[in-house]
Amino acid sequence: MIRILIVDDHPAMRAGLTAVLRAEPGFVPLDAAASVSDLWPTLNRTRPDVVVLDYHLPGDDGLVLCRRIKRQLPAPAVLLYSAYADGSLTIPARLAGIDGLVGKAAPASELYDAIRRLVRGERVLPPISREMLDDAGNRLGPDELPILGMTIDDTPLLEIAATLGIEPTEVAHRIDRMIKRLKVEIPAPRATT
Amino acid sequence: MTSRWMTLLLMTRLLAAAVAVLLLLVHRVTAYDLGLIIATIAYSAGSLGILTAVPRLQLSPAAWLVDCAAVLALVVATEDWRSPFYILMLTALVLPSTGQPFRRAIAWGLAFALAYLGVALYTGLEENTLESAIRLETIATHLMVPLVVVLALAYATDVLERLRDERLRSERLAVESERQRIAWELHDSAKQRVHAAHLVLSALQGQVDGDQAQLVGHALSELRAAGADMDTSVAELRTPLEGRSVERLLDERAAELAPVSEAKISVCGTVGELPAHIAAHVYRIAGEALTNAVRHGNARHVEVLLVRDRSTATIEVRDDGRGLPPIRRPGANGLRSMRARADTIGATLAIGAGADGRGTSVVLSLSTEPDQGSAKP
Repeated sequence: MIRILIVDDHPAMRAGLTAVLRAEPGFVPLDAAASVSDLWPTLNRTRPDVVVLDYHLPGDDGLVLCRRIKRQLPAPAVLLYSAYADGSLTIPARLAGIDGLVGKAAPASELYDAIRRLVRGERVLPPISREMLDDAGNRLGPDELPILGMTIDDTPLLEIAATLGIEPTEVAHRIDRMIKRLKVEIPAPRATT
Repeated sequence: MTSRWMTLLLMTRLLAAAVAVLLLLVHRVTAYDLGLIIATIAYSAGSLGILTAVPRLQLSPAAWLVDCAAVLALVVATEDWRSPFYILMLTALVLPSTGQPFRRAIAWGLAFALAYLGVALYTGLEENTLESAIRLETIATHLMVPLVVVLALAYATDVLERLRDERLRSERLAVESERQRIAWELHDSAKQRVHAAHLVLSALQGQVDGDQAQLVGHALSELRAAGADMDTSVAELRTPLEGRSVERLLDERAAELAPVSEAKISVCGTVGELPAHIAAHVYRIAGEALTNAVRHGNARHVEVLLVRDRSTATIEVRDDGRGLPPIRRPGANGLRSMRARADTIGATLAIGAGADGRGTSVVLSLSTEPDQGSAKP
């Protein structure tokens, strides 16, 4: 039995996901959270195996949220379920420690498959292309590139800190900054007065 | 704006001509009053007729000069600076006051007052005139009135123009924020629903078979297409051209197309600044024409010419390829979407054979006059 927590701010998406996951044998969708403030109590109470996380949420985005979820012990697997399927999230998602990345346009079978693989301890991430790396390299500072490289190679945080001779908290802090610089900006409508 | 001032000129000049004719009929001013009446009618009707028939002249300093000279000549003909033509003379200031920037209008008014002073001196500002307080006041008033008229009209024009600019700016901002809002709703609400529907339906896919599976598959592909359409619309609504110029984007498009084609592509000229949403349509029309020429025209040379003059922007995409196919390619809706875009921005689109009968020429032209309402909302 796989216990799944859904975090999505759109009611149609929450309802759709819950229904689709409930229909699949072996899956148990828990209470769906609509916002960051809903998430923490539910997460602490239900202890899910997998969190299916929308990228764009009011307040924090899915990447920032993933970093915070991953600090929990034991941390659930996190699947970023996003409408941005064009690859622009691939590297930021890697940095944020996302375990799986599935586009919202993908069929349900792909989602089922990804969730099952996450529970088996695998990761479901798209490959990182040369262009993506070049683009990220252009937007990051020279001292951030080694961290990017080691993160993509799955080097543990402590080892990165030891290699660079800096504190682990400083590494974590830099990774937060890199995510902020690389992530997809979603332009919200301007306030009209 | 010009036509509004032309109406003012029309009304004041007709009125002033009537006053002049009446004065000439009531008082004997010269020995040839009848000739002057005929000259007044001829001048008024002639000048108004010509200015109405050739609107270009309404903004031509040379035409203003001729008009002022003609009316001053009428004043000279009455042999007195306190002429029955004085008010008619003032009407010659309407177009110069409203058709040019504020400072130049004032300079024009000053020059006119000086010319009038010259006329006054010529027609006999007797030696003793300046000694008489009343006469002094009369000539001062006669000199001041043209200046006041010019000042008032030029000020009004200036204020109206500022108001119009301000209104255009706030309209643009309102349109811009509305576009952002629509893009947001499309992305945040409609697209999420499409995704949810797609997801739910896709869960059915493995559970049905035969005809039903085919129906589900069809519905799924429609939903995917709807999602893709929404992505395109959101992208177009959000940052039409990301602030880049039409010619630069066409240059970039040409560079993208160059490696996959035999044709030599050149882009030259500029269309200058256009409002963002108009520029977006212009780029997409020209980009489509360019792509067509390179992909389907079998051309050796493709030229994109951009021209901007005072009131129009023109873009021509021409090639020396095999020309338009006699029958439309099935599924080709490129031309239709180009025409629809041209309609949206009130531009004209001419698609035909090249100048020497070879190849294809696509000419897009649009008016850049702001008050002609070149864009439909």
